[in-house]
Amino acid sequence: MRRASSKVGEKLAPYVLLAPFLFTLIVFFGYAFVRVVYFSFTTYDLFSKPEWVGLKNYVNIFRDLDFTRAMKNSLTFMVVVTTAQTIIALLLALLLNQKVRGIRFFRAAYYMPSVASSVVVTLIFIWFFQRRGVLNFVITKFKEYQAIILLFLFAAAAIHIVLVVWEKLRRRPVSVFEPNFMFLGVLIGFIVAFGAVRFGFLVPREVPPVDIIWFNTTKTWPDFLGSLAFPIPLGAIMLFNIWTTAPTFMLLYLAGLQDIPRELYEAAAVDGAEGWHIILHIIVPQLKPITFLVVTMGLIGTLQMFDQVAILGSQAPRSSVITLAYYIYSNLFPSSAVPRVGMASAAAMFLALLTFIIVYAQRKVLGEEGENA
Amino acid sequence: MKRLSIALVVVLLVACAASAQHIRIGGFGGNDTVIVEEMIELFVRPALEGTGITVQYEPISDDFQRYIVNALSAGTAPDLFYMDIFWAGSLIRSGVVEPLDEYFAKSEVLKPEYFIPSLVEAFTYEGKIYGVPKDFNTLAVFYNKDLFDYAGVEYPSNDDTWDTFYAKLEKVAAIDPNIYGLALQPEFARFGALAYAAGFTPFNADGKTDLFDPAFVEAFKWYTGMAETGVGVMPQDISQGWGGGALASEQVAVALEGAWMVGAIKGDAPNMQYGTALMPKHPQTGQRGNLIFTVAWGMNAASPNKEAAFKVMEILTSEEVQQWVLERGLAIPSRQALADNPYFQQDHAEAQANYTVFLGASDGNVLPFHFGEYGGEWMDPINQALSAVMSKQATVEEALREAQAQLDALMGR
Repeated sequence: MRRASSKVGEKLAPYVLLAPFLFTLIVFFGYAFVRVVYFSFTTYDLFSKPEWVGLKNYVNIFRDLDFTRAMKNSLTFMVVVTTAQTIIALLLALLLNQKVRGIRFFRAAYYMPSVASSVVVTLIFIWFFQRRGVLNFVITKFKEYQAIILLFLFAAAAIHIVLVVWEKLRRRPVSVFEPNFMFLGVLIGFIVAFGAVRFGFLVPREVPPVDIIWFNTTKTWPDFLGSLAFPIPLGAIMLFNIWTTAPTFMLLYLAGLQDIPRELYEAAAVDGAEGWHIILHIIVPQLKPITFLVVTMGLIGTLQMFDQVAILGSQAPRSSVITLAYYIYSNLFPSSAVPRVGMASAAAMFLALLTFIIVYAQRKVLGEEGENA
Repeated sequence: MKRLSIALVVVLLVACAASAQHIRIGGFGGNDTVIVEEMIELFVRPALEGTGITVQYEPISDDFQRYIVNALSAGTAPDLFYMDIFWAGSLIRSGVVEPLDEYFAKSEVLKPEYFIPSLVEAFTYEGKIYGVPKDFNTLAVFYNKDLFDYAGVEYPSNDDTWDTFYAKLEKVAAIDPNIYGLALQPEFARFGALAYAAGFTPFNADGKTDLFDPAFVEAFKWYTGMAETGVGVMPQDISQGWGGGALASEQVAVALEGAWMVGAIKGDAPNMQYGTALMPKHPQTGQRGNLIFTVAWGMNAASPNKEAAFKVMEILTSEEVQQWVLERGLAIPSRQALADNPYFQQDHAEAQANYTVFLGASDGNVLPFHFGEYGGEWMDPINQALSAVMSKQATVEEALREAQAQLDALMGR
């Protein structure tokens, strides 16, 4: 008898332990989801009774210009940001996986953008991208000092190449990227550039202040992509989204890198592999499960992007930055008009379905290893 | 004995609940919190002594419109709440705001006739009145006296037409390339007053918007033209968020703003010498144009204590309360009787500014700041057009055609 009851208890235990989470999941997710499915087939304004209209909302959202714009923006945003942040995260992780003095500081420093709240970061970026903001200032300065910067780079590269060639001619084993030569090159390049300015061979050019409008524009870029080009304000959001999310994924990659058995590197070294070979044939395949996770989280995150558009508010034309998530929100709480809950729900259902399909397709493409890991 | 005492307590509690009516008031956060709390302390509580009615102010510092929509829908809304003219219509049409006509009929102190008709009209829907305007604002010409003195130009005056006004701005802008005449906020909330002066109406007889209406095009060209000639500047281009900020930065001589500017100057540029004038008249029509921004007290249709709530509303909109608010320079009263207020005749910039804004409501083509069922979405295309032209990204023709297409799409939806 006692045994039987303890068995029952054992079977019940996981459910009891899961209960608090299940409860919130069912109330705040399950129930809400069912409601949204229902509302998507009705017209509802939060006040009068919902009226069943069948598929009308789904037809209407596709007729809405804003919705098609939002879909295009969301998809471009997803492709560009997910690709860029995955690659940058991997490169950062490789960089920070080295055993160098002070690497902990750099790890912390690179992670900073992810720690700051996205609202704060967005506000900083709004200032950054202003017409008389930091970015345009830096571009102006760069144009002014272009000749001097080029001279510096050219001198540094020339010194470096001369030194490497010199050593190679003397048949000494030397890497193409010998750090000592690089340092010497940079030092001499600096002296040359400094001297050129000091003795008046080169003077900063007079250029009119750069006046790129980053937010308040409907222009698209790049031109050669035609209708596939993205609006410039969306590009600005992409830039800072990549900047803030890449470090989070870098952490995942760092963890993954430390899991790669040392033997693999040693074996590769014995086989004479170095540099890119190691990255392409050992690190990337070994990190595949992590990549799967990073890409999945990236896809879901980018498709749901909302906060940055909301904070940007009226600084950028709505059509240039609207995303699916923002489209849903703006239908639910339109400025001083009656809420269109039906339209918002239909768009939300569409976004959920789209996310599901894209993530599913991605799993097929990245292969089954990701799933097994 | 014990049972008896319990029964007594229960009876007492029930009695208390019946007579104690708790009225919740919902409004903006920030400055309003202090003002309304003080108003309640000074006027409402003493007047309600002995009636058993208690009041509580619930400030919402976040987006108030979104809050009130949610709260009304969920049944948790306060009994009395702020209703901005900009979005009041959508709530009224949804039937969640109590019509006040019956209460007015019974009341001895609160009648719609006591208030400025255009304000009451703004909250009237299908012949019923849904809100008692608590205060209002219009646009006026706020100018920096020092910049005009420096340029040796006469101050803007109530007799200015667009032409004389422009000539004055041009001279001030000539002082220095970094000094501008007018802050050109790329928004219908400012520019609209000029379009109205030229004779534009947001919706024509068919309920459609025509941006190629000659009146609109003329005002649009006049306003955006100033950005091209450097007579004016968009606040964003001198790193300011709004026209008032641009004025306070003393880089811009004039901003078209409302009485809120008084507080902003106090905070951001307390030493600036400023004056106010009525909006300039259109040279041909001879009319001024203006927008009315107003907030009313609305009553929750689902409130359990409507009679008590109305009693509170009577006090909140009473003459003595409005006088108190006016004298503190907080807002402009909505009661007609306060028009000849001695406060307005005082000889200092603040009182003069408030008086100018007060007069703006009844001079020329004045329309309340709301756009029917379309709300803020109606303004977006126009704001974008203003901004596109003034940042030299589009010609007037291109920008207006694009805006018209967007408006047609909005209205066809």
